Amino acid sequence: MTGDKDMMTLMRMLQFTDSTFPVGTFSFSNGLETASFEHIVTDADSLESFTRSQARQAAFSDGVAAILAHRSFKTGDYERIKDIDRRLIMFKMNSEARQMSCRMGKKLAELAVRLFDDSVISCWLSDIRTEKTPGSYPVAQGIVFGVAGIGEKELFCSHQYGVVNMVLSAALRCVKVSHYDTQLILEKLAGEVSCLYEEASVMELDDMNAFYPELDILASLHEKGNMRMFMN
Amino acid sequence: MKERKKEKTLAPGVDFSAAREMSRYLTEPEAMYVGAPGKHGYLRLGFEIDRDGKSILRDLDRRHPLIVQQELYFDEEMPGMPCVYILSSGGPNVDGDRYRQDITLHKDAFAFVSTGAATKLAEMRFNYSGLIQNITLEENSYLEFMPEPVIPCRHTRFISDTCIRISETATLFYSEIFMGGRKYYKEGELFEYDILSVCSHGERLDGTPLFREKFVIDPMSYNPRNLGVMGRFDVFANVIVMTSPDNADKIYESTEAFIDKGNMLAAGITRLPNKAGLLYKVLGMEPGPVKKMVRGFCNTVRMVVKGHRVPEEFPWR
Repeated sequence: MTGDKDMMTLMRMLQFTDSTFPVGTFSFSNGLETASFEHIVTDADSLESFTRSQARQAAFSDGVAAILAHRSFKTGDYERIKDIDRRLIMFKMNSEARQMSCRMGKKLAELAVRLFDDSVISCWLSDIRTEKTPGSYPVAQGIVFGVAGIGEKELFCSHQYGVVNMVLSAALRCVKVSHYDTQLILEKLAGEVSCLYEEASVMELDDMNAFYPELDILASLHEKGNMRMFMN
Repeated sequence: MKERKKEKTLAPGVDFSAAREMSRYLTEPEAMYVGAPGKHGYLRLGFEIDRDGKSILRDLDRRHPLIVQQELYFDEEMPGMPCVYILSSGGPNVDGDRYRQDITLHKDAFAFVSTGAATKLAEMRFNYSGLIQNITLEENSYLEFMPEPVIPCRHTRFISDTCIRISETATLFYSEIFMGGRKYYKEGELFEYDILSVCSHGERLDGTPLFREKFVIDPMSYNPRNLGVMGRFDVFANVIVMTSPDNADKIYESTEAFIDKGNMLAAGITRLPNKAGLLYKVLGMEPGPVKKMVRGFCNTVRMVVKGHRVPEEFPWR
């Protein structure tokens, strides 16, 4: 019986992490399109470095928020979940990143109410629709993974996989790299996730931090520019 | 003859005990202890409009090593604006220094605040140097805070926390420039410091939170030379502009985002959360061109908000 439950949980985790899970991860490039256009990311080495910075940036902001939301779901502290959501949006300095996060967060909540009969997730979607909470993606992930009975480490892995895979999938369309290159990068970065988790899992909201000015400037160019292979 | 308020207060505490990233650096210095006289600077500046309608530095309190002399009116484009330079008599920040700067602009007041020279963060063996700033802007007030760059030496540790409380009708231009280090010292000393932790957060006068930006640069954990961080750039400027959404729209439209690989200069702009204003970032190789970009951006802000230009920088600055 326990084995069946474990397998169900694993299946759910694969479902929520898959790039075809319809929350829109495939529509964004996390600034890679601009980095490629500006010849900053040109090959597998520069793509690996770019993706590593993206993963690290996400770990200490989105990753922290997802972990804390997951813990608050488990302790039944709904107000704390709302506070985490508000604080994460206040921390996201890039306006496109805020829009992207809220768009994906709402889609995830809309999907989750169809998949699970759970009062917290219904309440969350209702609060997003009535603008009582911004509805960021990592917080929605924290709640949904909690509802689905998936653990915190698995949540963090799914979050990191989502960020890395979003960039690498986009890379196949705008950087001269092969599937072999991107899978190799994924394998390398997978080996670094446990160190990121070790740091992120002891952080509180006040500890969230990010120093990626080059990524910020690329995001600004995308926001102001005319390149539109991916959504903004 | 104006009267300057002379109320003295005890220098308020500077507490960073909650900062997880500094927990490795708590050893008391072998020289003067943390918070010793001369190592705990305090500055309180209060600008207001006097009876004749002039913006003046009405309130001034200070503890060494921080020094502010009287305000000067040297801005040719805004001759009614008090200009103040913050000086430190103690030279660079050293192990265990604590600083606090409280700047308030009362209703309708306007001012320009800078530093007399770059802030040098000396090599540290014990503890760290910390700065708390509280900047308050009441209705319709205007502050340009444009200090000289910060130069972090090898093995320095620095943390700052800047709390901005601002009315919807006020405008703040707040810039910081961080050098990678003493670039031309010996073989070059870039990103060899232990840690820089910089947090700026904004809220309305009633306490409604607006945004919180925090960056922790720990070169041993993650090399700033990585793509996406500093890449090949050496100097970084961060500018927070808090102003009305109308002003923010005009400033955003007039400001270019670009990466100029030939001149190794890049800039980007985005909107702060909760319609609080704008965030502008510049990357470059030397402080001169980066300072010029920051000043140019200040010119855009001042033109939109006050309808005046920012004059050319003094040649000796």
